[in-house]
Amino acid sequence: MNLPNFFFADLPPEATLSPPMIAAACDSLKRNREKHLLPRKTNEIVKILCEIAAEWLSPENKFRRFALEFGPAETGFSKTVLEKGLDGFFRRFTPENFQALLEQELGHARRLDEFVAGTMARGPELLVHIAAGNLPNPTLMSLTLGLLTRSAQFVKCASEASFLPRLFAHSLRELDPKLGACLEIAGWRGGNAELENALFAHADCVTATGSDETLEQIRARLPVKVRFLGYGQRVSFGFVTREVLREEEIEKVISRAADDVIAWDQNGCLSPHVIYVEERGAVESDEFAKRLAVELAKRETTEPRGKISVDEAAVIASRRAIYETIAAHRADAKIWSSQGSTAWTLVFEHDVKFRFSPLNRFIFVKPVPDLNAVRQGVDEILGKVSTVGIAAPPAKMKDLATHFARWGATRICPLGQMQNPPLTWRHDGRPALGDLITWTDFEL
Amino acid sequence: MNTELSHFAARLRGLIVVGADVRSLYSTAINEPPHVGSYFQDFNELALELFAFQFKYNSAYQKICEAGKLTPQTVEHWTQIPAVPTAAFKELELTCLAPNERAAVFHSSGTTEQKPSRHFHSAESLAVYEASLWSGFQHHFGKAGELVFLTPNASAAPRSSLVHMFEIIRQKFGLPESVFTGSISTDGSWTLDFTATIQKLKSACNTDTPLTLLGTAFSFVHLLDFLAENNLRFKLPENSRVMETGGYKNRSRVLPKEELHALITERLGVPRENIICEYGMSELSSQAYAVTSDEWRVASKTGTTHHSSPITHHFSFPPWARVQIISPETGRGVAEGETGLIRIFDLANIFSVAAIQTEDLGVRRGDGFELLGRAQLAEPRGCSLMTA
Repeated sequence: MNLPNFFFADLPPEATLSPPMIAAACDSLKRNREKHLLPRKTNEIVKILCEIAAEWLSPENKFRRFALEFGPAETGFSKTVLEKGLDGFFRRFTPENFQALLEQELGHARRLDEFVAGTMARGPELLVHIAAGNLPNPTLMSLTLGLLTRSAQFVKCASEASFLPRLFAHSLRELDPKLGACLEIAGWRGGNAELENALFAHADCVTATGSDETLEQIRARLPVKVRFLGYGQRVSFGFVTREVLREEEIEKVISRAADDVIAWDQNGCLSPHVIYVEERGAVESDEFAKRLAVELAKRETTEPRGKISVDEAAVIASRRAIYETIAAHRADAKIWSSQGSTAWTLVFEHDVKFRFSPLNRFIFVKPVPDLNAVRQGVDEILGKVSTVGIAAPPAKMKDLATHFARWGATRICPLGQMQNPPLTWRHDGRPALGDLITWTDFEL
Repeated sequence: MNTELSHFAARLRGLIVVGADVRSLYSTAINEPPHVGSYFQDFNELALELFAFQFKYNSAYQKICEAGKLTPQTVEHWTQIPAVPTAAFKELELTCLAPNERAAVFHSSGTTEQKPSRHFHSAESLAVYEASLWSGFQHHFGKAGELVFLTPNASAAPRSSLVHMFEIIRQKFGLPESVFTGSISTDGSWTLDFTATIQKLKSACNTDTPLTLLGTAFSFVHLLDFLAENNLRFKLPENSRVMETGGYKNRSRVLPKEELHALITERLGVPRENIICEYGMSELSSQAYAVTSDEWRVASKTGTTHHSSPITHHFSFPPWARVQIISPETGRGVAEGETGLIRIFDLANIFSVAAIQTEDLGVRRGDGFELLGRAQLAEPRGCSLMTA
């Protein structure tokens, strides 16, 4: 499939962008928005979004097939990981889910169309997204929200990471060329002040994902009138209570834990670095670790991890070497890992302290006597935590959720769903649409 | 006193000393390949013998070997001998020496590390270290002239293996003019006495005496920054040299090697071919050296070899230490020109562990390597935090 040269990201790598090109693109995006996007009603947008998702979910869809064929080389995720990740994402696109999102965020689904009970919302004219990494879902979700707010959008991807956003934009353009004309996708290495300043000068709102330093640098360069939504890098962890550690349930729990480690090769901020496992269950924590290792090995054959760089592999190899040494000396520390590759690693250790994983399917399993020990272990990462994935009896879930919510986690979900947030998910605890829009109150 | 290890140490010292003498006879052969010398043709036998001793007398190491099911009974070649990660020196006492035999300990450097690596030495093991370092240094520097060490001296930094090495070099050269111009600041980091250093540079220029400056990359950055701020520039006498050893440890801004060397040439007047890089660490007893060479650059133009940098530094160890470049993905040795983690088997590490797995990446070049340094995770693939 040959994609037409429509977006900046379609240009050959040797083509260089210039500030005037960016400025011209922003101008035409705004004009197109005025003409083609602003007059649309919310339900029309929702309809198109659901249609596009249905197409992406269809095995015959050419964009999907292209993504799955060339995605592994372009993104570093294996075909099955991409397939599962994209399917999980697009399945959320239903009219009911959009209705729930709009009601949650705006109180009423038509408030972007008209005054409802004296209140109406409008989105930014030009919404700019500074995306990070190869994980497509956050970028695709940002684009989706921007379409709902009827904003012209410019997505700046990391260098050589525009593949999937670009394909999504092309699929939208094919379905509805006029909507496609309200989007621009480009990729360059972050920190190009010339290009970015040209872009920021035209923006009304900028969203960015990245390290604290990156966010700080972007924020410092934005004109005062520009609204800034920064999403810092976050980490997540899992917690398994002793009640579910029994033979009747263990297989399901293990499978769900593996789902969370495997999804997007653990590269997302919703992926767990550590799974805390309560001791004194019918199945002991070390047995849980052992079975999870077996499961990770099994899943490698059906859902292989993608190729990683030498540097990433070196970090894993070095971390493994350390834990192999520790395991040789301490009966209570263990390590399981794939042979002849870095495909997966499981470290079991009693130290409750949260550890940053080198990711790419490197998971820590840490036994804990109780919930308090988890709190103690994750104390250092307070404010950096996105999701806590919990496996516990339903009756206990609410108490645990309240506990972690009070502590500072912004999302609590069942283990196995960590990388699969609903459409209504509030990124980093911030309103999904609410942060983008501006209200107008009409008093009679 | 362990007689088996003592005998081994005495033998190795003999081989190193003889090896050094023999090599000096051939010092005109500039393009001598690494691992020269028939004395170490039986490297494998020596390595296996040493492995058996270390397995026997280093209990922390024995456990690591047993966990990996690699013991003197199963290992047939030195490349199979289990390597210990440098980080393990932080956690474990990896030594064959009883507590009362430990006359010295070298710590890994770095200001932020809570737990440093600890490499214990006895008088005997220090003697091997000294024989090894001296032979390696001499081989690359010959008559080094007057020496200026940009580090604190041995009494200020008794736990630095680098400073110990410099002190031995100073003693062996026996030149009273040689000085240490570094010191230790209150926070424990190394600083440079600029006045004393500049004075040395000036007097070398005035008396036309070649100088050899030795220090870490960050101490050179400190010096070069100072020279730039004060608009100072020297043209050190002909045959002056620089020995620069890697690592910044967050102590200065980080410069790519090429840039650092270009600045050294610009500010100190030492030509590129007289800048010699050293690669060493507290966990080892031997060092690798690299001379800047245009030779490989020429080769790369013909397309015979791939290079990440226009000018490369090919490090090689002396004959009693050998390098493997290990693929982090597969754990096996990589092919020529490929990148992997640097693993060293250092026969001079007699009383600790000979097989050391570093966290540094290198490109395999013949029997040596091109140093890339610690793995860099430039742009994260996702939005999660990760640490290298």
